Amino acid sequence: MNGLISTGLIGLSLGAQYAMIAIGFTLIFGIMGVINFMHGGAYVLGGYLAFTLYHSLGVPFAVAIALAVIAVAAFGYVLEVLLVDKYVNDHLATMLITLGANLILITGVIVVWGAEPVDYRFPIPGSFRAGGFYFPYSSAIVLAVCATSIAGMYYLIFRTRYGIALRAMADNRMVATAQGIRPSRMFPLAFALAMGLAALTGAMVTPILALEPNLGESQLLKAFIVVILGGLGSVGGATIAAFIVGMVEAYSSVYLGGSKGSLVLFGIVLLLLLVRPSGLMGTEARKA
Amino acid sequence: MVAQRVRDFRLDLAGLAVLVPLLLVPFLVRSPLYLSLTHQTVVGIIAAMGVYIMLRMNLLPFTVPAFMAIGGYAAAMLSVWGGMTNLLVLMTASFVIPMLVAVPLGILVLRLKGTYFIFFTFILNEILQVAIFETPSLTGGSDGIAGVPPATLLGIEFGTPSLLLLVTIISGLVAGLVTLVVTHVYRAEFASIEENETLAESLGLAVWWYRSIGFVFSAGVSGLAGFAMVHMLTAAHPSSFASFSAINYVAYAFVGGRGTLLGPIVGAAVLVILSNLFSSQGLYSAALFGLLLMVVVMAAPGGLVGEIRRLVSWRPTGGRLQPLTQERARGKHG
Repeated sequence: MNGLISTGLIGLSLGAQYAMIAIGFTLIFGIMGVINFMHGGAYVLGGYLAFTLYHSLGVPFAVAIALAVIAVAAFGYVLEVLLVDKYVNDHLATMLITLGANLILITGVIVVWGAEPVDYRFPIPGSFRAGGFYFPYSSAIVLAVCATSIAGMYYLIFRTRYGIALRAMADNRMVATAQGIRPSRMFPLAFALAMGLAALTGAMVTPILALEPNLGESQLLKAFIVVILGGLGSVGGATIAAFIVGMVEAYSSVYLGGSKGSLVLFGIVLLLLLVRPSGLMGTEARKA
Repeated sequence: MVAQRVRDFRLDLAGLAVLVPLLLVPFLVRSPLYLSLTHQTVVGIIAAMGVYIMLRMNLLPFTVPAFMAIGGYAAAMLSVWGGMTNLLVLMTASFVIPMLVAVPLGILVLRLKGTYFIFFTFILNEILQVAIFETPSLTGGSDGIAGVPPATLLGIEFGTPSLLLLVTIISGLVAGLVTLVVTHVYRAEFASIEENETLAESLGLAVWWYRSIGFVFSAGVSGLAGFAMVHMLTAAHPSSFASFSAINYVAYAFVGGRGTLLGPIVGAAVLVILSNLFSSQGLYSAALFGLLLMVVVMAAPGGLVGEIRRLVSWRPTGGRLQPLTQERARGKHG
């Protein structure tokens, strides 16, 4: 029973991480029709920047993370303006451009920090114990930060003027533009927001797991699975699907072991595609 | 339009024609370095042709490594466990078995619209990798299948480095021929799907049928690439078919140009040779790939071949040389 609860908590924090990654990813797609292959790169870059700030420069952990997030968000903003903006209507072109940019980014990371994993540690060791189950403090903090950020994103998207404008853009770009919402202002901000979220996840999670340059691939793959499950462009779907994926992963790795978990996950994805090709909460896929 | 079609066809034929002289390489070249480079180039070319077939319908497939693995493993199992080394049988198996796998998969995958298709084909590679690792009794798991014997035909054993390469080049020619035939038999249908799928469908074109044909043949061609790879390495190993190698094959097709068959061939040759030149600084070759991909998409949407055609074209506008993407790219924010 205790094992069941501990595993559930692990699943919850995994789910929260995946949700952070997938919300940004699906947001960019929903609004701009862009498949951002740099999303995994933002996760890695966030981790490395926070690592350098915290371990090498001695900046306090929380400040290091905040600075890393701001830096990556700014990077995302510039990237959108320079590379993506001009080609935003052609989803093959934007995909290949971000793919290329990501290859360059990862090479840059390897040049600066090396190809081997670096020793990035969470500042608060130890774990919370009650009865027979235990939960590391680090995971608890990550879970709390992720939950707050996700709530913040929901507030931003569904309650603020900026969020309303974003959703209007996603619904119908022509009508939204006619109403005076300017794509040239909205798109870079959305990109910065999404990449900032990925960087926050990277900066928080990599000290618990590991930090190496090629982490981005698996994160992107996770985002793909979450987004397929949840329905492309749907923030709510992505959140629900992320927690499903997190739970399945946690329980299957404990009770089935190793890569059986991925098989279960892939099985779920296949089944869902048979029954509901547009995902849990997806509507008809957009013709971007 | 007719003139355009003739010129397209000439470039497609030119693509096949540049492969033919490669047949001489095994007999003229002795240096293992160049033999290996030719082998890598040809495998890259075959894989890029697998991408190219789907690109003709504006679908970007990341399935190539998965079907390469199926074709390669099929040939390895036949020869290692079945004792079958006949070249024709092995090539047929590595072509047909991926096609058979592609049929049910196509039913599932081709219902998906563009973006879902991309995601799902990406995940497919990962599923196959896990499947290989989880079935060690069948596929050798993480050890792969080693000791694949050389193929034989009419009493000749293709065992020496030169003859191993010859098999790769023959596979390349067969793949090129298949690609040429498929893209020309269904040229009109593929083109109408590429330009406007909804319109094509409303004019009575059974889009799903032609997409399936493309998907199945793309799988077969990829399978040949897998066979060539496994045969040359004399082993089938999961790392040869890593998911993210799909990006390389897509890059080959795009950098070369997606408009004609010559494009993926030129793209694969240029990028494989360049990344070998850069291999002394291994880690920069990924960045080089990225840079080329970005530059080509941004500056030359028709790829190298498309761009050269545009420059040498005698008509000031160059006819309909650029693919649709460039026109779309020009209109900012719809």
